[in-house]
Amino acid sequence: MTDALSREQRCALLAEAERDELVALADECLADGAPVRVLTGPVVGVVVAQVREPVLAERFLLGDVLACRAEVELSGRRGWSMRLGDDRAATLAAAVLDAEVEAARPAAGRVDDLCHTVARRRTEREAAEWAEIAPTIVEFEELT
Amino acid sequence: MGYSGARGGLAAILAAEDLVRHARDHAPAPWAPTGQITARFRLAVDRVMGEGGLYHEPTAAAALRQAEGDTLEAAHLVRAYRSTLPRLAVSEPADPDEMTVLRRIVPAFRDPGGPQLLGRTTDYTGRLLEQPQAQPDSPADGPEPAPERTAEQRRPGRFLDLLRKMDLVADQRLRDDPDPVDITRTPARPPAARSAVLASMARAETGGLVGLWYRSILGPDGDVHEVTLGEVRHGRIPLRVRHPHTGNPVRLGEFRASEAEAIENLDGADEDRSKLDVGYGLCFGHNERKVIAMANLDIANRRFGRTGPLEQLLLLTTDGLDSTGFLEHLKLPHYVTFRSIVERKQAVRAALDAGEEPDERVAEPFGKEC
Repeated sequence: MTDALSREQRCALLAEAERDELVALADECLADGAPVRVLTGPVVGVVVAQVREPVLAERFLLGDVLACRAEVELSGRRGWSMRLGDDRAATLAAAVLDAEVEAARPAAGRVDDLCHTVARRRTEREAAEWAEIAPTIVEFEELT
Repeated sequence: MGYSGARGGLAAILAAEDLVRHARDHAPAPWAPTGQITARFRLAVDRVMGEGGLYHEPTAAAALRQAEGDTLEAAHLVRAYRSTLPRLAVSEPADPDEMTVLRRIVPAFRDPGGPQLLGRTTDYTGRLLEQPQAQPDSPADGPEPAPERTAEQRRPGRFLDLLRKMDLVADQRLRDDPDPVDITRTPARPPAARSAVLASMARAETGGLVGLWYRSILGPDGDVHEVTLGEVRHGRIPLRVRHPHTGNPVRLGEFRASEAEAIENLDGADEDRSKLDVGYGLCFGHNERKVIAMANLDIANRRFGRTGPLEQLLLLTTDGLDSTGFLEHLKLPHYVTFRSIVERKQAVRAALDAGEEPDERVAEPFGKEC
């Protein structure tokens, strides 16, 4: 992924980043004393998983997924984050990083770098996963 | 035997709780961390997530530990916890076609398009009990590098679409798009929308749902006729919500789910007998038993739910918390109820002794006296 990230792509990748890397980078962002306000949360709650099933194309509610949401204001720009799970610190840090980019602040490039790292990691994880399960594909042999 | 107002029992209740807590938390064995439980008892964890209606592995694992491995008690703890949480959002409609498969089998068709991917399963393994004294050694080498994968291998087309291409499926797709029923806010009662039935089955107690499915095959109801399975999957489905500032969907991550399609032969007088129909099942985590039962019962309910007891059974009797809650309450004091029963027996006996004819019996519905 080398193109500029959309805000949705950034939020998605920050939602998958590791807690420690989010918190460390958010601390760096705030080290210059920029004014920051926590507007919402971080609050742990649920996202209702809505599914459109394929037979009648009908929507139904499968259940709830635990999630955490936060919103901050940094240098006058809003940063938002929602992550699966209940890690408040990571969610708050991700919101700070979103705001860092929105405000075009000095560490914005570092946030993009982190996002690209997360994307690469996902690709590598999926490749490793496939290496494990691919041998379980059934290869049929024709009997004549 | 006599009844009088009484108080007491608090000390005994507290002592009983202490007994549980002490025996559980200070058992002469190493503490089982949450990660240990999610890694080694994943199917139990998945079952608790599904029946508890909350997807979060660490929460389900903590509940299992607290419940000493009792999955229904754990699901109860999870639902109670869930009820304390705010609702942050309703996701965009997730598309099961986006599932990244970890396992996918199509029992009905050898070459369904995409792989027959066995994944992690013991379906074909003899049930030989292993009793290792310690963790087995790790294999010396990791997996071989996998060949380049295609999109179709990880997100194969569904068997239903193949049947549709063959013009074998009665097209029952809705023309409108009704809002789904939220059974966590409004109890589902017959007659209910299909979305309520699917949601009820998704969090039903697994054994209860399988029992009802089997009853529908071998029992008196006969609601399930064909038991041909189209497809079973386990994999990850993306979850997205609307970004509050841009209004566009944002992917938060993925949840694991199991999915099944069940094929039914249409043979009713008012049905297109040249076609098949397909039932659908989807639940949190890896629980193939549950989704197979769900898929068969989905189609059975669409065909016969309004003319027989199936819809009522699905909506009112498969929830594990409901059924076990009712069962568990029987252990609470019923002194007054039982004294009433005894006094009625004594009155009948006295009447018989006095030479009176017994009253004609009036049958009561099952379960009324409890």
